[in-house]
Amino acid sequence: MKEENKSASGKVVGGVVFAVGFIGALVFGWVIGPDLLYSQKAQPINFSHVAHQDTTCEDCHAFRPDGTYVGIPKIDKCKECHESQMGQEKSEQILVDEYIQKEREVPWLVYAWQPDNVFFSHAPHQAKGVKCESCHRPVKEEKVVPYFYENRLTGYSKSTMKMVDCEKCHAEQNGSNNCEICHK
Amino acid sequence: MAGAVGGTLLSPLPWKLTDDAAIWSQNWFWRPSPARGEITRKPTVCALCEGGCGVQARLVDGKRAILLEGNPNHPVNQGGICALGAAGLQFLYAPYRIAQPLKQTKRRGDPTGFQPIAWNEAVGELAKKLGQMRADGKPNGLAGITRRRCSSMDALLNQFFAAYGSPNLFKMPAHADSLKLAGAVTTGREAPFGCNIEDAPYILSFGAGLVEGWGSPGRMQAAFRRWRQGGKSAAKIVQVDSRCSTTAAMADRWIAVPPGTEAALALGIAHLMVKDKLYDAEFMADRVFGFEDWTDSQGKNHKGFKFLVQTDAYTPEAISKLTGVDPAKIRELAKEFGTQKGAVAVWGQPQGSVPKDMYNELSFLALNALKGNIKAGGAIGLAPEVPLGALPELPGDPSALKGLKQLRLDLASSQKGPPPVLPGNNLHGFLDAVSNGGKYPIEVMLVHEANPAYGLCENKLFQQALTKIGTLVSLSSYMDETAQQADLILPIHTAFEGFDDVIGIPGAPYAYYGVCAPVLKPHLNTKAAGDIVMSVAKQLGGSIAAALPWASHEEYLKKRAEGLAASARGALADKKGVELWKLQPEEAVKPNYKDGADLWKKLAGGACWYDAPVDPLKDLKTESGKFELAAQLLLAKGQTGDDDQVYLPHFSQVPPRGSDKDYPLLLVTYQMSALADRDLANPPFMTKTVFDFILRQNDQFVEINPATASELGMAEGDSAVLKTPQGEVPVRVHLYAGARPKVVYLAQGLGHKAYDEYIKDKGVNANGVVEVQLDRVTGLGTVWAARAHLRRA
Repeated sequence: MKEENKSASGKVVGGVVFAVGFIGALVFGWVIGPDLLYSQKAQPINFSHVAHQDTTCEDCHAFRPDGTYVGIPKIDKCKECHESQMGQEKSEQILVDEYIQKEREVPWLVYAWQPDNVFFSHAPHQAKGVKCESCHRPVKEEKVVPYFYENRLTGYSKSTMKMVDCEKCHAEQNGSNNCEICHK
Repeated sequence: MAGAVGGTLLSPLPWKLTDDAAIWSQNWFWRPSPARGEITRKPTVCALCEGGCGVQARLVDGKRAILLEGNPNHPVNQGGICALGAAGLQFLYAPYRIAQPLKQTKRRGDPTGFQPIAWNEAVGELAKKLGQMRADGKPNGLAGITRRRCSSMDALLNQFFAAYGSPNLFKMPAHADSLKLAGAVTTGREAPFGCNIEDAPYILSFGAGLVEGWGSPGRMQAAFRRWRQGGKSAAKIVQVDSRCSTTAAMADRWIAVPPGTEAALALGIAHLMVKDKLYDAEFMADRVFGFEDWTDSQGKNHKGFKFLVQTDAYTPEAISKLTGVDPAKIRELAKEFGTQKGAVAVWGQPQGSVPKDMYNELSFLALNALKGNIKAGGAIGLAPEVPLGALPELPGDPSALKGLKQLRLDLASSQKGPPPVLPGNNLHGFLDAVSNGGKYPIEVMLVHEANPAYGLCENKLFQQALTKIGTLVSLSSYMDETAQQADLILPIHTAFEGFDDVIGIPGAPYAYYGVCAPVLKPHLNTKAAGDIVMSVAKQLGGSIAAALPWASHEEYLKKRAEGLAASARGALADKKGVELWKLQPEEAVKPNYKDGADLWKKLAGGACWYDAPVDPLKDLKTESGKFELAAQLLLAKGQTGDDDQVYLPHFSQVPPRGSDKDYPLLLVTYQMSALADRDLANPPFMTKTVFDFILRQNDQFVEINPATASELGMAEGDSAVLKTPQGEVPVRVHLYAGARPKVVYLAQGLGHKAYDEYIKDKGVNANGVVEVQLDRVTGLGTVWAARAHLRRA
């Protein structure tokens, strides 16, 4: 009989331990773990999209004559306006002193960086009418650039789009999902 | 525990970690990742060899070159590229590049002794030394060796040496050396012959490495495409070769002959053409001197080529004995060659780095003369001059004249027998004179873009000479075998970093000029070789500075191009469809450029200049005013011999050193398109294309016939020692049915002792075991075979 009692109380204890372990692991797996996997990195200087509202998006994020996309512009583009300081912002001062004057590129951390084994061209997506916000964060109202989360294992950005996302959209839009479309 | 496992399994963590681990494993730190940015293409002309191919570099943000490809708009290579060019960018970023000027502070050759030195100090030191030598009245103590021959850099060095007062400027040996002298003997013009090979319906090739490059690999690729397009065979190629080379394998017919007997077969064919009257009789009668018997200016009678070639020495039976080719086959070949309209005979190695025996050259020319190929509209022409802007005339400075009055050291100190009657670029003779304590000492030696310590045939000659040379100054981009021995290194830009040019295409009959404009800025502390020479001249001052008046090498080239524009000749090829081989001799090509500035701009933008071939028989400068089969020039220069054949094409062979008993085999070295030879080392990408039966890890294989292998008791892959009178090297054995029995074949271009882990100690250096024979007429160092012994290691 004692054994039965033991067994009943053991079951409860076991159940609690199981639940603690189960819930703990779930919390770790869903909440804590993913954060531990990424290191938080700040951009070299802040960039305020709001402060650049007097220009159009295409002034900086343009297509080149050969159809390729410039992505984040190079320092020469910044220099067109910021050859000398225009405002009082600290980040602008750093931009002028540390980068433009020294002719160095700003080592921006690119949130949507795709690995080398993928060929991605913006041009056909734009032609299809895919909005920038479908893949990138909306930036129009953004005053402070967000942190960049780098995967400690792979070195990729947290917001690097995974293959499944590409495939899903291609399937929905009747785009081809043949390997060589992206893996050239 | 079970809960933790269950919970973990229901969270995304394990799957995410697995995925990330997979990505992590694809991103090892050594995985090359090209820089990202704006991709641009910059066309230019390749300066890695003299082939004059148009190439374009793919650049990221205009700073990092990531790919070199053929320029489809360029008429020479028409979009093609050779293995060296395709891997050529690796030279730019190679770890063995020299980053700044260096001075040897310890013993010569000690790699720890090199200390960085500022440019002005380095140039100043050299100028001071040269200034002192001139003040002492010994400017002839300066010597130079350069690789560049078809370039304005060659003219610049000539100008500098002449203004300074030294006759001792040499180039790395080339087939062009002997071809030029053959041009002088037969036409009175010291220019190499070229062949309109693209349109030839029948090509009889005497060992010419057509597929492997033949002067301009890009041009030959394009020619092959033309011949073999769509499975058609527009040109019949007959390859006479001792080994089944790539060309032989791709030819319609391969005639295997013993090494060095190609010219004998040519004369055997000539014999039958004369006998069966299959030659261009009208041409031989009107335009050729010495076919019939002739009388010299002293009134002495001599036998002509017609008589000589019909003697018993050249009957099919006699030639068959020499070459092993069946008499019936020789008759068949002669009939085919003699009757086929437009048939042409060609000869020469793939990379053209060894001069040929003068009588060999004359024999192949004679065969073409019999076909009537050497006239306007014929397949063989003389390379036309490119009317570039001239360099300033030299004022005749007394110190320089004093030095120039001294004979060139090889001619001043000839120790073995009489000096050659028609001396050429005799680097071997010169180094021999230096080693044996020539008539005067060499105090300073400049080596420009060349690597004689590795790449000169019988390279130990350079090492021996070096012990007698005061200061070795290297103008090199790379820490190669020669730079390692230098006392002062003035590092220069590589191809694609600085301005350079290419004048004429080796083996082509038309005129060509291309400017190799830089595709990106130099990333090391290097200078253009021309700028270094100019700054030395400036420091020396006076007449030397006046002889090189330009502000920079770029400006000098600009002035050369302005001179070209002033000639109002030729045109630019900047788009597809220019077919250079269709140009007729003396055809008036309408200039399509406005002026010098316009021409320069387009040349620097990757377009090339071209002009029609010249009539090889126009304004002949020979004594007879005709094409001379009987060389009166040799007679005038004092060539003597037992009989009249010394003035005529004939076959003779100097046996290699050593005895049959000690060395029962012959060693023949060969070039292949997957191996850069001599002055440039193989970039790693190129080495990847070398078969593993030629190079496996660090072991190099020699090719021997299976029958020879069984006589020697050797099997595939066996280790062996190859020994010649010049030296011995460890090799492994590859059995190859395309190798001639009793002959050992060794590929050139391996066995470096410098550079990096991808090059150093891979294979053996063929230049260390070959044998150089000095040609009796020209003194040029020729190579055909060495006696060899192969024993199991």
